[in-house]
Amino acid sequence: MAPPATTHSAHAMSLGARTLAVLPPVVALAAVLWVLATQALPLDLVWSWAPSLGLDLAFRIDGLAALMLLMITGIGVAVFVYAAGYLAGDPNQKRLFVLLTLFMLAMIGCVTADHLLVLFMFWEATSLTSFLLVGYFHTTAAARKAAQQALLVTGSGGLALLAGLIVLGQVAGNWRISELVAIVPTLPHTPALTTALVLIMIGAFTKSAQFPFHFWLPNAMAAPTPVSAYLHSATMVKLGVYLLARLDPAFGEWALWEWTLKLVGSLTAAWGMVLALRERDLKRILAWSTVATLGTLVMLVGLRGEGAAAAVGALLLAHGLYKAPLFFVAGNIDHGAGTRVIDRLGGLRKQMPWTAAAALLAGVSMAGLPLSFGYIVKDVILDAKNTADIFTFAQIANTAFGAVAVAVAGVAAVRVFWRHPGINESCEAHECGPALVGPPLVLALLGIGLGLFPFFAQDLIVAATVSMIPADEFELARLSLSLGPVLGSLAVTLGIGALIYAFWDPLHQRLESIALGIGRVGMASQYEHALAMLPRVAASVTRSLQHGRLPGYVLLAGTAVTALIGAALIGAADTLALPAWQWPGLGLAGAAALTALGALLALTVSDRLVLLLIVGLIGYGSALIFVFAGAPDVAFTQFTVETVFVIVAASVLLKLKRMGRARSVREPWLRPGAMAMSIAFGAVTAALVLVVAALPFDPALSDYFGRVSVPEAFGRNVVNVVLVDFRALDTLGEIAVVMLSLLAAMTLLSAARDHVRPRKAPRSKP
Amino acid sequence: MKARVVMLEAAAKPLYWVILAASIVVLLRGHNEPGGGFIGGLMAVAATILWAVVHGPAAAQKRLPMGSARRLAVCGVAAAALSGVPAFVFGEPFLTHLWGASLGFAELKLSTVMVFDLGVFMAVWGALAGYALGLIEVDLAQADEQ
Repeated sequence: MAPPATTHSAHAMSLGARTLAVLPPVVALAAVLWVLATQALPLDLVWSWAPSLGLDLAFRIDGLAALMLLMITGIGVAVFVYAAGYLAGDPNQKRLFVLLTLFMLAMIGCVTADHLLVLFMFWEATSLTSFLLVGYFHTTAAARKAAQQALLVTGSGGLALLAGLIVLGQVAGNWRISELVAIVPTLPHTPALTTALVLIMIGAFTKSAQFPFHFWLPNAMAAPTPVSAYLHSATMVKLGVYLLARLDPAFGEWALWEWTLKLVGSLTAAWGMVLALRERDLKRILAWSTVATLGTLVMLVGLRGEGAAAAVGALLLAHGLYKAPLFFVAGNIDHGAGTRVIDRLGGLRKQMPWTAAAALLAGVSMAGLPLSFGYIVKDVILDAKNTADIFTFAQIANTAFGAVAVAVAGVAAVRVFWRHPGINESCEAHECGPALVGPPLVLALLGIGLGLFPFFAQDLIVAATVSMIPADEFELARLSLSLGPVLGSLAVTLGIGALIYAFWDPLHQRLESIALGIGRVGMASQYEHALAMLPRVAASVTRSLQHGRLPGYVLLAGTAVTALIGAALIGAADTLALPAWQWPGLGLAGAAALTALGALLALTVSDRLVLLLIVGLIGYGSALIFVFAGAPDVAFTQFTVETVFVIVAASVLLKLKRMGRARSVREPWLRPGAMAMSIAFGAVTAALVLVVAALPFDPALSDYFGRVSVPEAFGRNVVNVVLVDFRALDTLGEIAVVMLSLLAAMTLLSAARDHVRPRKAPRSKP
Repeated sequence: MKARVVMLEAAAKPLYWVILAASIVVLLRGHNEPGGGFIGGLMAVAATILWAVVHGPAAAQKRLPMGSARRLAVCGVAAAALSGVPAFVFGEPFLTHLWGASLGFAELKLSTVMVFDLGVFMAVWGALAGYALGLIEVDLAQADEQ
């Protein structure tokens, strides 16, 4: 998505403000570096939050968290600088920086959280901020749709994850991740634990765009380029992988876990690469190759052995260091040449030399050529695959992944800059400013630098690996520039990759026709179907349940209550008994008679106003019952409520009557269905009251409050003391609900008023 | 043209104040005798409705503290929430009530409980008065259109 034409409005940020906006990730990076330099890992930070719920704000920085933190804050600095230049002059740029900062904090919280629920809280925060960031260009329908899709897919996955985490915490009896990884392997494989495992995997798969939830990620490319580089390549989509890697020591021995990860990861890697070949938009090509990388990472998590864990850590880092720059490059091309469609691009090296250099350096690392960090990672992955018993499909998928990665690197770094396909429409392309070429160059150079001097990354990768495996000690073969077996495999990959690169266009056409067929039954179209079904189902349910006929509602509610209570009473019939007969006092009998009289009178009347007064009589009768039953508070409230209700309803009815619209109640004399329900409802309620009265009364609570009310809360009115003191928090919640319901109702009320009497608008004469 | 009921108009002013005074008495005695913020608030709503029936909902709205039902309800919830804050000063959990000096009559003591109950009173008064006034307004609009 190209940034809107640069119109310097009054809302645009000044250079100084933009410089200031880059500070948060810089400060965060400095803090992370300070912690890593001065503190011994793992570092535990725990604050008590809600101790009665066992909920602590527990954070833990270990090797894996440190690796993620460095990527979040380090690539964060590059992204913020890039965003300052990329969207310079955009009136909403401030919002972008606020959202990016919030997102960064959510990510930091997520990778350091040591409590399952704290982790989930930050996990959801990343989904929400990602929704707002993808929808940054909210005036375009495509961006809104992409944001909605990303939120629905990752949000539903989040719900599955929450359920999974809760089951896991309940079963294990512990919520601290660092303790769980030791407890879970000792637990029996119960169905509950299997459920937790499946739900957690679903949550991780949606977040990391694994098959079959892969389709949202390329659509999320509607986001501005810095957002794509940050969220959709370097950090957020890695959260799923992070969670799987974090829990791998806990579930690693489960066959279900191991095989699902291997299978889904390989499938995603292979499928992502096929779909990358289909695309013509540079950013979407990169997005599909990101999906493929995420698949490879998930597969590596599924592999056993320290080598695989080291490969996960190394690939996480390498991918961030080459994919983020390539996204920046795509953004620069868009910025400078006005398009990202690769058919219209070529020979850009003359106009955009610095961008070309960054693309080449990042491409070298992505292709895994020697002297780049990508090469080192290839070595580590090959090592992992040789030691782990890996099934053939994963092997082939991974080779294909490597080959297509080479081809994609070729397209992004060579084709658009060096080759000239002859239909280049971008002769007016220009190089971008230092804020746009600096970040990709620096990140890509880092990738090359770590390739030349891999020992700088050694400690970090080792620390990350240790936190992914159950063993305490682990020796990683030195990350080094070896020219061993990896060269042979590299040659194969490079050869296939070069072939794919050379025949990109014919392959593309061939795939397009196949993919069209798949598209009709694929996940993306299933998503569309489900989305279209939602309002239709909701509408039909609403139509059948909320038809607007009050007698119908009463009939439905009454039948439901009768059936539920009746079934419960019948089910427990043999344990229940009727109470002994007691003569009521004269007052109680009078009050009951008054109520019954009101009910009988109500049957004979058809005028609404008289009916209302009779209903008031019933209310007063029941209030009198409370007076004689020793509950003066309730009686007091009941009298007041009845009075206010009758006054309000009567004033409305009088108005209606004056308007001549108060029709009397015209109901047939007898409605058999309604009568049967009424009798059944009355009988069930009476039976319930009798049965409850027969149960022994447990006076513990009322005794307690009666005893402590005066000494502890200085009040003799126990009801009031409970309301304002012992259960004050509940009362606060209740009055907040009352207040909020008014706020909600006010819009309805004013809409109703405007409906009958439209607001006086200034009259315009025709 | 609006029909006027002279007797009601004449009675409305003293009645309004009598009901409000009664509602406040009910609020204050609530801790020891039947009463409290909820019931007191409901009685105050009756006074507001009386005024609305006689002088119209806009005039009744103006008579409310803060000049609007919505603001009254929000302030009520805020007062109730704030009454729990002083507890923090003494290292107690939120909404642990504190008791001060006696006011010298009717067993009344200055306390955060009183502030809390006043908040309940205001929230109930504001919210239910808001509903009632809104409904009466819709109703009047309907009558005007006829």
